[in-house]
Amino acid sequence: MSDAPKSHAINLGDITRTPMAHTSEVAIEVQNLDLYYGNAQALKGINMKIPKKRVTAFIGPSGCGKSTLLRCFNRMNDLVDNCRVEGKILMDGKNIYDRDVNVALLRRRVGMVFQKPNPFPKSIYENVAYGLRIMGINDKKTLDTTVEKALRGAALWDEVKDRLQDSGMSLSGGQQQRLVIARAVALEPDVLLLDEPASALDPISTAKLEELIDELKANYTIVIVTHNMQQAARVSDYTAFMYLGELIEFGPTDELFVKPKNKQTEDYITGRFG
Amino acid sequence: MEKIETNISKVGGYTGRRMAKDKLFKHVMTFGGLSVIIAISAIFFYLASVVLPIFMPASMDEFKRLPLPAAQSGVVHYAAEELAEVGMRFQADGKVDFFDLRNGKALGGDRITPPAGVKITTFAAGDPSQKVVAYGMDNGHMLLARQAYQVSFHPNPKDPTKDIRSIKPSIDHPLGEAPIAVDPQGRALRLLTVQSSDEGTTAIALTEDGRLVMTAITSRTNLITGEVSTESESVELPLPQNGEIRQLLLEVKQRDLYVLHGDRQVSHYDVMNKSSPRLVQTVEVAPAGERVTAATLLSGGYSLILGTDKGNLTQWFQVRDKDNNNHLTRIRDFKPMRHAVTVIAPEHFRKGFIVGDAKGDVGLYYATSRRHLLTRSSGSEPVQVLALAPRANAALVQNTDGALQTASIKNDYPEVSFYATWQKVWYESYQEPEYVWQSSAATSDFEPKFSVAPLTFGTLKAAFYAMLVAIPLAVMGAIFAAYFMSPRMRSVVKPSIEIMEALPTVILGFLAGLWLAPFVDNNLAGTLLAIFLLPFSFLLSAYIWHRLPVSFTQRVGPGWEAALLILPIILTIWLAIELGHTIEAAFFGGNMPHWVTNELGWTYEQRNSLVVGIAMGFAVIPNIFSIAEDAVFSVPKHLTSGSLALGATPWQTLWNVVLPTASPGIFSAIMVGLGRAVGETMIVLMATGNTAVMDLSIFTGFRTLSANIGVEMPEAAVGTTHYRLLFFSALVLFAFTFLVNTAAELVRQRLREKYSTL
Repeated sequence: MSDAPKSHAINLGDITRTPMAHTSEVAIEVQNLDLYYGNAQALKGINMKIPKKRVTAFIGPSGCGKSTLLRCFNRMNDLVDNCRVEGKILMDGKNIYDRDVNVALLRRRVGMVFQKPNPFPKSIYENVAYGLRIMGINDKKTLDTTVEKALRGAALWDEVKDRLQDSGMSLSGGQQQRLVIARAVALEPDVLLLDEPASALDPISTAKLEELIDELKANYTIVIVTHNMQQAARVSDYTAFMYLGELIEFGPTDELFVKPKNKQTEDYITGRFG
Repeated sequence: MEKIETNISKVGGYTGRRMAKDKLFKHVMTFGGLSVIIAISAIFFYLASVVLPIFMPASMDEFKRLPLPAAQSGVVHYAAEELAEVGMRFQADGKVDFFDLRNGKALGGDRITPPAGVKITTFAAGDPSQKVVAYGMDNGHMLLARQAYQVSFHPNPKDPTKDIRSIKPSIDHPLGEAPIAVDPQGRALRLLTVQSSDEGTTAIALTEDGRLVMTAITSRTNLITGEVSTESESVELPLPQNGEIRQLLLEVKQRDLYVLHGDRQVSHYDVMNKSSPRLVQTVEVAPAGERVTAATLLSGGYSLILGTDKGNLTQWFQVRDKDNNNHLTRIRDFKPMRHAVTVIAPEHFRKGFIVGDAKGDVGLYYATSRRHLLTRSSGSEPVQVLALAPRANAALVQNTDGALQTASIKNDYPEVSFYATWQKVWYESYQEPEYVWQSSAATSDFEPKFSVAPLTFGTLKAAFYAMLVAIPLAVMGAIFAAYFMSPRMRSVVKPSIEIMEALPTVILGFLAGLWLAPFVDNNLAGTLLAIFLLPFSFLLSAYIWHRLPVSFTQRVGPGWEAALLILPIILTIWLAIELGHTIEAAFFGGNMPHWVTNELGWTYEQRNSLVVGIAMGFAVIPNIFSIAEDAVFSVPKHLTSGSLALGATPWQTLWNVVLPTASPGIFSAIMVGLGRAVGETMIVLMATGNTAVMDLSIFTGFRTLSANIGVEMPEAAVGTTHYRLLFFSALVLFAFTFLVNTAAELVRQRLREKYSTL
């Protein structure tokens, strides 16, 4: 890291704006986003447009701010003490950091899957039904159909349909992660944020998960943070490379991996640092 | 290969030292842990070993025949001195034989001689504690005598450090040797009862012509000459309605006379006023067809024990009703003897008695605890004469065959039974059965009352009120601190509350007793109002908070709202106290405690459960808060994030994810708090009146097991029932706190297991 090149001179705005606008609709638009933890700035002037119903991957070395950026999309950073956000994140033209935004409703529209599988200590059924129940939906029929649909959507139904009342904790790590995805999918969100979802999983589970991501993008806008560049290359349509809180390069995955425009991106994806 | 091996052995050497250290510390820690367990077990076994004797059954040796020379005339009475070494045998003709109670060796004798030409017709023994006996004669007079035992010590020629004790029995005459007239008409006395003490002497006799005569004798000793002059007053008593009079029983204080007549009737006379005695009532004391065959008064003279020809045994004493009239009431029944009861003899100082039946069985009973202690056979002949040694450690039995048998008794804790300690007991001179703990009193003829029920009740009551204060505050505080509070505020609040735990409870008790109790007393309405208003003030504050401009509320920052709540709390308390005086003046006649006492008719004590609830609640809060806070705080963050990311509000997340996950920890916290509240001593000792009453009222005090131990242990004589019962309550407390803490620990371990998979 010590010999990593320092660069603040690049105009990121130009790179990020160009490729997106005409290829597809925009799900999330980030405008001049700065984020501070106390006095330390963690995100610096981020501008980007995340396309709808595509998979966008955030890559970059540890501490580059990719997870922090992801957490801005459902305002999970609000929970961090001393965290301050400046700039705008627009969804359907509405800045989600506006004062009148209902955070609970925002999070209902922007689902999130964490690095470590975190099923609740409840049954598989109740885990999936949780999001509906907190919205006040307790109708048995609605719950049953939604749970089945969500579990099917997360490619877990066949494995758990006979043990829906077992604890969610009794599943394997890969299954737990798919359960958590089902839990998010049950609410039919617009955006699904995946924060290194495969980092705690074995290769086979990872493969299954990637397959699932591929299926899900038909219906959801997916943003995935990953350490694994092969994974980013495999699952994503667009890739953003971040470094030291700045967005260095953002473009279609094929282009970024094959022909990076930036020297730092090239160094990182070829494994020269990171 | 070679090189690697040397490397390993090198590493091995290094590891060897580390292993040794590791082992050493392992052993030190094992030793420490085991020591704790051993210490706790030792406490438990020590307590148990002190308590155990009260649960041991009474024992009695086999009867042993004493080779006494046969009595020329019939034996009417046996007596023994304090140490149960020397006995006396009273014969019907006035002859008294002294003997060694251990081996039957004759120690001489004396004779109570009637004047020439006068014959002895009857005999009466006074209360055993007074050692008085009397012989009634055919000239209407009686001879009063008293047993005397002179204990002296002589140097021991063999061992100069140990003197030889010798007891010299004799007979003396408290009212002089001259016969005392009982019947002014001089008719022969057929039945006689006598009590003589320092206050005076009363004799009541049935004469041969069927009159009931009472003579009260007051004696005066001339201080200079030592001469005894007596004055006597005689009066005739009304006769009971029907039936032949069979036995007269005058109680030791010479106030009440019980006359057994007919088959099954007892008449009670009030003879307190020696010039105008009166018949109070006649009671049928047995069902039809049953005949009372023996009667005696228990020590203290309150209770009458009656035995029947069917072997039934009942206890009776006077119970005062609402109109202040006394009624001779059947109090309790004892396990019957197998054959007709022939004779009953009381213990000298306790409420025990011994019963002989028609087939030679001897039963040992204790009245208050309703216990039948044991039955021994003394042969097959009916028991004729029966006596207990003063310390109830030996029985003297004579059957119709005329031989004296003795047996030593070990019966130190007859007062204790499940019935006597846990159920309502009808004590002498009480109006109804009650739970009473009263281990000592000013008078010596007092019977200790050992009901553990009010103490246990007091303990639970104290814990209840303390938990009522502590649980809501501590648990909700813990949830707020762990889940909502800003980390900086939490880092101040949590240690502060935990430091409260280190506050010596004697200070809390002192403050509660000397400051809080008078304060609450002076501001009763205000205090109650404050307790009632505080929750509403919280809600109101929350409402106002939401109405405040966002620019102001944001400046305070999330998690700091609670700090602002201090102001409304102080305001509410101040307001309530101020309003309290107005309310007391308007509705409660200016003084609510008086109003509670006079209008509601409730007992009001200044040091009451409300004060203890607040003070002990305060003491218990840190225990509950600390553990509950840890439980809530250690709910994994990824669970709460998961819930929040699904669009749950913080409140929904708390309710649906955090609390269910933390609930075993919160339960465990409450259990630990309960264990503390139950075992707490200083606060309850200082902040309550320590009266062992049983009611749930918030305005009365109580006495807890722990405070009782604290108060009474220093004054309990070692080895007595009282002493051992205090140890028993300590054991109960120990077991209770042990169980509660174990339950808490088990739950906590389960919780830890559950978390480990999260």
